[in-house]
Order: sequence, then C-alpha cells, then structure tokens
Amino acid sequence: MAITRINIGPVHPSTHGVLRLVVDLDGDTIERVEPHVGFLHRGVEKLVETRMYMQSPPYMEKLDYIAPLSYDEAYVSAVEKALGVEVKERAQYARVILLELQRIASHLLAVGTMCNDLGQMFTVFMWAFKDRDMVLKLLEEAAGNRMFYVNMRLGGLLRELPPDFEMQTLDVIDYMERRIPEYERYIEGNPVFMERMKGVGVLSQKDARNLGVTGPVLRASGIEYDVRKNNPYYVYDKLHFSVKSLEKGDNFSRYRIRMMEMRESIRLIRDAFDKMPAAGDMLGMPVKLRSPAPVNKEVRVSRELPRGEALMHMVADQQKPYRLSIRSPSFINLAALPDIAKGYRLADLFSILGSLDLVMGCVDR
Amino acid sequence: MKIDRDQLTAQVERMIKNGYDYLVKITAVDYNDHVEAIYTLRNMDANKDDTLEVEMSSADLWVPSVMKYFKAADWYERELYEMFGIAIKGRAVDRLLLEKWDGENPPLRKDFVWGVQYKTKD
Repeated sequence: MAITRINIGPVHPSTHGVLRLVVDLDGDTIERVEPHVGFLHRGVEKLVETRMYMQSPPYMEKLDYIAPLSYDEAYVSAVEKALGVEVKERAQYARVILLELQRIASHLLAVGTMCNDLGQMFTVFMWAFKDRDMVLKLLEEAAGNRMFYVNMRLGGLLRELPPDFEMQTLDVIDYMERRIPEYERYIEGNPVFMERMKGVGVLSQKDARNLGVTGPVLRASGIEYDVRKNNPYYVYDKLHFSVKSLEKGDNFSRYRIRMMEMRESIRLIRDAFDKMPAAGDMLGMPVKLRSPAPVNKEVRVSRELPRGEALMHMVADQQKPYRLSIRSPSFINLAALPDIAKGYRLADLFSILGSLDLVMGCVDR
Repeated sequence: MKIDRDQLTAQVERMIKNGYDYLVKITAVDYNDHVEAIYTLRNMDANKDDTLEVEMSSADLWVPSVMKYFKAADWYERELYEMFGIAIKGRAVDRLLLEKWDGENPPLRKDFVWGVQYKTKD
C-alpha cells in the first residue's frame, strides 16, 4: 500500500507544547515518525554563560514549566558544588519536601493530560488540575510565587517555611492519599482507557537501555534506576521510600509508575517532616552579584526530576559558568518516540506521547 | 578518562563489555584552542558513571559516531554537530535539531558572533 505522509503540529492540543511530528502511514499503521523540535529553543545554555551564577535560576525554571522548582534546585546545587557551599541540614529537609511536592504536582498533570489525549475529555484533567492547585498553593506559601518560585539560594532557601506549613502540607497529602485511589478507580475502571493503554507503546528493557530513556519511562520498562536511591543526594538516604519498577513497558505501566511514585512522595514528605531537626535555620546566602571563588573547576550534578534524570555538567569560571551542559530528561525520552511508536496505529501515537510526559521547553532548552 | 578519537569506538566497545551499556550524555566544551567532547557512560548494575574525554584542535573537528552502539547517541550527536560544528564521521547528520542555520557560526563555540542574522535552511 502507498505510504501517506501527514504532518501533525507544531501547534496541536495533544503535543503538549510546540512539537511537529511528520508521520509516515501505511493505512493506519505508523511506519515512521520524525519529531521536529526546536520551536521553543531559547539558547539557555549559551545565555547562562553570559550571566553571573545566581542570575540564572529564573532561566532554569522556564526550561520545565511544569516542575520549575526541580530544575532550579538542580542548577543551584551545581553552583553550590562548584563554589564549595554546604547546604544547611534543615534546608536539605525543606528542599526534599518542596521537591517531592513538586513531583506530585507534576505527576498529577501528567496523568490528567494523558487522559485528555485518550479522549477522556477533561474529567480527570480537571480533577488533576484542582488537586495540583492545592499543591501549588503550598509551594506559594513556602516561596511566595505560585508557579516560578526562584527560592533556592546558595546553601539553603530564600526564607523559612511558614510556621503552619507542616500542618497544611500534612492536610493536603492526607487528602491526596484518599484521592489517588479515586483516580485509579475512575481511570482503570474505564474499558476504553484500558484498551488503549495495555499492550500499546511497548518498550522492552533492552531497547530502553539502548535508547537511553530515563525516569518513569525507564522504570516502567523494568529497570530500577532512580538517582534518589542509586546516587542519593541531600537526606534521601535517611528517608524511607522505595523505587518502583514494572516489567511490561507499555503505556499502562508508565501511567502506573506515576501513580506509585506519588504515593512514595507522600511517604517521603511525612518522613521528612518527622526527621527534620528543629534547631537551626534554612536560610541561604542572599543573592549578591559577586559570588565566592569556585573551588571545583568542573562539576557534575545528577538529579531525579519528575520526568527523569537531569545531569548538570558545569565548567566553572570566576563569576560565571564557563559552560553549562544540561542533560534534559524530556529530550532523550522524545528521541525514543520513533522507536516506540513504530507499528502502532495513528491514534495510539498520542497515547504514547502522553505517557512519555514531555515538556517541550525542557526538550528544546 | 582522556582518550584519542581514533580509539573512541574501540574503547566504547570495551566498556560495553564491562557493563557500561547506558549512554547518559554526549556533550562538549570549547576551550578556544581546543574542543573537548565528553561521553558519559553508565554501568547501571554497578551504579558507576565513567566519562571519556576526546580532545581535538579547533581547526580539525570531528568524532567517530557511536550510534551503532547506542541509539541514544542519535540526537546527542546531532546536537554536537549543530552547537559546536563537530562533524560526525560514519553517519549522516541529515537534519538539524534545535536551530536552523547555514553551518557557520555554531552557537556554543566561544568565538560565536552575537547578533548575526542567520541564513536559514529548511
């Protein structure tokens, strides 16, 4: 049969940003997908070279606008490592709490948009948005902004967590814990959803390794690798949580992994509040244009973001980074799309895309 | 580990045999007179990262492709070509990834000229 070539995007509701896909179809079967990216390319890696160290966190947050805090933290810890700044113990706990809250918010949105892509129009999406907003409110309490926080400072945070933050957070995560089974009941009780998720977009363990995918996509394919466990930073090695992995590597596993990770994040937050020392403060250094001289010339910092592993490789200069290379998780997960989608139907392309949970700002940098 | 680019593929092959079968990132740093391409490989079972650093003079920029070992190398190598002007031998870099430019003035090189209007391709 003749091959039909169709163009999807760059502006399309299911591409989660500006992504253009050129798809070759044999009937309704995907022969080849070619992602065209770069529509959101802002040259952040180059921009950072022209700014002082602590002028860059706002740029970092705009990379992944669904989980800005995580990128902010990854960048600031690279700077901390280069400048030889120790993070205060209380601040380490506070950072873990904020990062895990951010992970919950991000995964909620991922599940919500994935259901939208599958034609379960707006029910789960609206639930997820409402619940995510509760988490964003907490982050607003802590940082002062609802979406772009910029509250990481060298050695700590911009300010102390508010006095009633613990109580409010525990309320929200208690609610979230009751809420997650509701999501599962609604989503997994829907035969249409299950039909389009189970056995679709299978990525085998061997391919997952070879394609270099990361984060929930990697763990859904049966490889139990999580930076928080395998290469712990902050106080993650003192807290109780487990890394989940599933064997099948299909869309459904990728969705399940996110649900499980939200539960683990809830456990982590409770544990972190329990173990957080009462003494000491969590304030970082105020932002000054001149920063201390770097002690390490070349640093590599690996962090588990909601979408996967980010590797910040920084070559430090006196006042500015000489070079910052960002390994963004969405970038490499999108690169795997052609291999995952081959042989499935056109309609499945969007469920696969939804399950990869891409943020185009993070892909294009 | 610093190695010569002629030995890159052989070294990668050796490391894969030792369990380093996950490519984390290929990137590069421009030091004006020379450019260093950095390959980060990971042994997931032993939980170890290792880097291969390939140094080359700015006048003669190329590296051999490692795409036959890692499919993950595809987009990283394309990025290397477009951001640093490093030619990738052994594969066709048919389409630029993030930018649209005519092959001059690669953006992440230190001699990059700001504010030049690019002639676009594609």
